[in-house]
Amino acid sequence: MVWRVLDFQRYNAFENMAIDEAIFRETINQKKPPTIRFYGWQPAAVSIGYFQDIEKEVNIEKCRANGVDIVRRISGGKAVAHCDEVTYSVAACDAEELFPADILGTYKIISQCIARGLAYLGIQAALAETGRNLDEADCKSCCFSVPSRNELLVSKRKICGSAQFRANSGFLQHGSLLMNFDPLKSGAYLLPGRTSVQLQKLKESVAAINEEVARTVDEMEVCALLKKGFTDVLNVRLEEDTLTTAEEDLRKELIKKYSDARWNMSRKREPFKIDN
Amino acid sequence: MKIFPEDFLYSREHIWLRLDGDMATLGITDYAQESLGEILSVEFPEIDTYVERDETFCSMESTKAVIDLVSPVSGTIVSVNEDINDDIGIINSDPHDIGWLVVIEMDDMEQLDDLLDATGYHDFIMQEEERG
Repeated sequence: MVWRVLDFQRYNAFENMAIDEAIFRETINQKKPPTIRFYGWQPAAVSIGYFQDIEKEVNIEKCRANGVDIVRRISGGKAVAHCDEVTYSVAACDAEELFPADILGTYKIISQCIARGLAYLGIQAALAETGRNLDEADCKSCCFSVPSRNELLVSKRKICGSAQFRANSGFLQHGSLLMNFDPLKSGAYLLPGRTSVQLQKLKESVAAINEEVARTVDEMEVCALLKKGFTDVLNVRLEEDTLTTAEEDLRKELIKKYSDARWNMSRKREPFKIDN
Repeated sequence: MKIFPEDFLYSREHIWLRLDGDMATLGITDYAQESLGEILSVEFPEIDTYVERDETFCSMESTKAVIDLVSPVSGTIVSVNEDINDDIGIINSDPHDIGWLVVIEMDDMEQLDDLLDATGYHDFIMQEEERG
């Protein structure tokens, strides 16, 4: 079985979300095999979950002043400050039998692949058995502070935060693995503002790759090992490729949505329809 | 074993439909609410919106995912469940009754032929679970 992989590249926030959605739409419309994509964010960005209120979650003024992009995802979950990280996405249609039909089952399998990849770095990540809640005051709105069931923990600290979108014929899941974590920097762009005690608690609840290994690793090495994780667990062959012409065309259209204030401020969008 | 009302029809996307003439009340099935987990937000269509079959009529966020719900029938949205705005928990606690989502005035009753009855839906989710 051959799946496509798009290797690590950095894009701005609007491009990243447009590419993920373009791949997702084409995957389900054409019933194509799954695609795994790895990417980074240039410039740094904050993404918010589909249903979140941008004005309650993001320090918009601070983002603007520092050239930090703000984008609304189609997936759920909480706000994420993207800077020094590897982001993955997996798009698959329902015909793909390696993924179960239910949401938790999908999380679990992708988490197992990532855990296997991290194990090559000597990082022992385990699936969260149950969700964990921090106190309301302890940065509950920040994605990395609250692991969900089947997300990945290293010594009880969250190392991978993921979010999923499902339409009737498939799913898109994307998630972040931090290379390094600076709670002061990440917290600065999110609301509500945090006290130094809260930032320390956040630091203690998050694991970053370069804080878990003895030597410094870069994004390319991490992605190579994550790919091995996927091939080990799923027994698939990954073939490096690029976007198709149809995906490129879709990407160009979708960038307009993701860079549009109507989408980012108030989630106005065209109905999502599956072309038959 | 889950109980699915005998007088409902069901889509393979886990939407139930209860008919009253050409008025169809839609909601998510108990199987769907259990799979989604705690539902946090719902985005309803506006009244008088025309929805095509297989088109999104509602978006829902749970603790695990955002999901677009697709309508099994075409028609005009004539009502949405305003009670959900006061207590979103009713979708999880009573998805087949007070947790209904919208009422659609159908314009093509033949579309019902593609839906499953309670036994057919039960068999369908058994297959889904075996796959999982």
